[in-house]
Amino acid sequence: MNGFWHYFTSAVDPMSNVGFARAIAEVTESGSPAWWLMVVLPFVAIVLPPILVWFVYVVKPSAIRPPLPAQPGPIQPLVSVVIAGRNESETIGQCIRGALTCGYPNLEVIFVDDNSEDDSVAIARCAALCATGTDRDGDRVRIFPSPRRNGKASSLNIGIRMARGEYIAIIDADSMIQYGSMQHWLLPFSDARVGGVAANIRVNNSTASLLTRFQEIEYALKYMAKYAQARLNLLFVISGMGGLFRTEILRRLGGFDTGLGDDRDLSTMIRKQRWRLAFSIDAVVWTTVPATRYHLWRQRARWRRNIVKICLSKHRDLFVLGRYGFANAVLVIEVALIHILIPVAFIAGLLSATFEYGPFATPEILATAYWIILIYLIVGALIARDLSGTPAPAHFPLIFLLPFYYLCLVALPQYYAEITELLRIGAKHHYVPDHIWEEIPWW
Amino acid sequence: MNDAAIPASGRLQAETRQLDLLRQIAGAGGTLLPRADPSAALGHSYALVGDDVANDLGALKRRDYLKASFFDRVSLCPKCGGHHLNVREICPGCARANLTSEGLLHHFRCGYVGLPSEFSPATDGSYRCPKCNRVMHHLGTEYDRLGKAFQCRSCGLVSENPPVEAVCLGCSVHTPAENLVSEVVLSFTLTSRGAAAIRRGSLLDDDEELVLVAEAPILRRPVLLKFLEHELERQRQLNGFFSLLLIKFTAEAMDAGEGGSLAPQLFRLRECLRDVDLIGQLADADFLVILPQAKHREAEELRRRIGAEFGARPPFVLATLQSADEKQESVQQILARLHAESGAR
Repeated sequence: MNGFWHYFTSAVDPMSNVGFARAIAEVTESGSPAWWLMVVLPFVAIVLPPILVWFVYVVKPSAIRPPLPAQPGPIQPLVSVVIAGRNESETIGQCIRGALTCGYPNLEVIFVDDNSEDDSVAIARCAALCATGTDRDGDRVRIFPSPRRNGKASSLNIGIRMARGEYIAIIDADSMIQYGSMQHWLLPFSDARVGGVAANIRVNNSTASLLTRFQEIEYALKYMAKYAQARLNLLFVISGMGGLFRTEILRRLGGFDTGLGDDRDLSTMIRKQRWRLAFSIDAVVWTTVPATRYHLWRQRARWRRNIVKICLSKHRDLFVLGRYGFANAVLVIEVALIHILIPVAFIAGLLSATFEYGPFATPEILATAYWIILIYLIVGALIARDLSGTPAPAHFPLIFLLPFYYLCLVALPQYYAEITELLRIGAKHHYVPDHIWEEIPWW
Repeated sequence: MNDAAIPASGRLQAETRQLDLLRQIAGAGGTLLPRADPSAALGHSYALVGDDVANDLGALKRRDYLKASFFDRVSLCPKCGGHHLNVREICPGCARANLTSEGLLHHFRCGYVGLPSEFSPATDGSYRCPKCNRVMHHLGTEYDRLGKAFQCRSCGLVSENPPVEAVCLGCSVHTPAENLVSEVVLSFTLTSRGAAAIRRGSLLDDDEELVLVAEAPILRRPVLLKFLEHELERQRQLNGFFSLLLIKFTAEAMDAGEGGSLAPQLFRLRECLRDVDLIGQLADADFLVILPQAKHREAEELRRRIGAEFGARPPFVLATLQSADEKQESVQQILARLHAESGAR
């Protein structure tokens, strides 16, 4: 601990900021793989794209945030907002009301209740009644209470089947579309190659706890990177919290597959059909993030298990480079590099350095890594703040603790989930009903 | 129309007609049930007692000769008031009634959801999934039906709970079901007061009308004495029996009761009584309850029940008395005996 403390304090103190500078200088001049792994690669993968985006934004803002046409077209396409949820009585009311009052006139809302045990359906009908004046299905709101629990994927498929819009927006039951976002969300579809558009997910309950504050910063950084990825045709996931798709694609694919992470699986299937995925900064969808460690752990573990299943099992044919195009091959490289090689190489390098230089070198390496990551995070957060107004200035001091948040509450559950999924320990998803689980393929 | 504005001859005719109506209801067993009648205004008529009796029934109900009960609810066109309506589900999208009702099928393996017509039939009578091309053999383990859904044959929209619309066959106006005018059809039952009017052969005079206290019918003194006289007569002729319960409110209760605050206590008292029991006001603080077909033991039981209802210190004194079988008592004698009984308590 004394070693860590020494390097942290020495870097904070401007008069004796030698430890970090010396470490950087040493690692730069050494030409060792650590330089590439710890500094160059994260910089290129994580920081450089947002910096480039920001430079473009400074020079030509309309290139990043295209303005809406002065006059809306004579025919605005019908958009079906599909919401699936189970026991979401606390949030479903505001979710439906938010969709109906998002400022887009030609819109319908379809809520599929996955056999809730609470009064989600009654609250949804009440929200529909407030907005439309009737508690029966209307041309703006339709509610389908499922008589049996089917899981989220099947519930969304019911909604997709009932939708009649040209585009289908899929949002979580605890999400809310910001006023005026739908027009921005539709803009990227002017490119005929675009099959789906990811929304800019913002955290609704950022002040609920320390964890939600961390997640606000995390989401801001993540969605800045998504913009750059989308511009390079390297966006691979449209989040289930807010995604807009062409209906014809979803129908052609037969909707979601059961038993897997819904959003990543669908996004991969769309990409394999050679459609592009886009991102819109101004299509803001507010979502509720987990406020407790337990729920955050479960969420991140679920996400990571799905990545392993989708990338290493169900869609492993993506590894056949060239079969689905260059961009999709990059996906494989990204997954292999970011999720597997870099963590493994970092741990291996740390162990190697410890054996080579003794245990006293470990804190120096970790503290150096901490400051490098911190600089990248600060740069990313400043760019995110300038571009999309998040994270909140009051949360900026938390960036100093963000590496520990990533390590303890994001990385650990993710690696734990990866290992358990690879070893097939506890593979059954609690959110997939038994009768569905027994039928689905063993991915 | 106000009763006071009706000429005396007209009132007599109306009373005669209403008394006949009461007699007809009594002859039919005491209850008048409406019957379905497509030609009637609300689709129901009281054929037993003839047409155009709605006003008389309403007047008799207001004067407590009849008790009205809910029989049915009828929806009417808001424009013309007709009840000839064609009610059906319509498509929420195109508002046409060209709907077909099919349960959505859900294939567990691939999650595909669609109408049965989208699943091609396999050779053995099972379905083949259009998404994964697998045969779905067993309902419940391989696939499921997701409730009932309506599909519009015109625009293809699928809806689980489509809106309901009514078309008036008289004026062709389309109205959402929630905007239809709703009217209640009533059945009528003869009350004890109605039965008394039949026995007496005339309706009660205006000054003998009920005094309504907290929605409980409290009879005035002349009416009460008339009923008491009638009970004595019935006892003599039919060897029947009845009991009386005297309720004397205390001075404190009367002082506190200025401004009509006796009403809650009278309402609670009324709750303890049977429907056939008659309660009336003898004097300012004295109320009398006639308990037909009740012996002294039952009257005492009622007294105890009232005592329990009002707690340890009720705001009144109670006295009970059973009519004497052998004596030919008059109203005054029996009331004197009752007052003496209450004084003894």
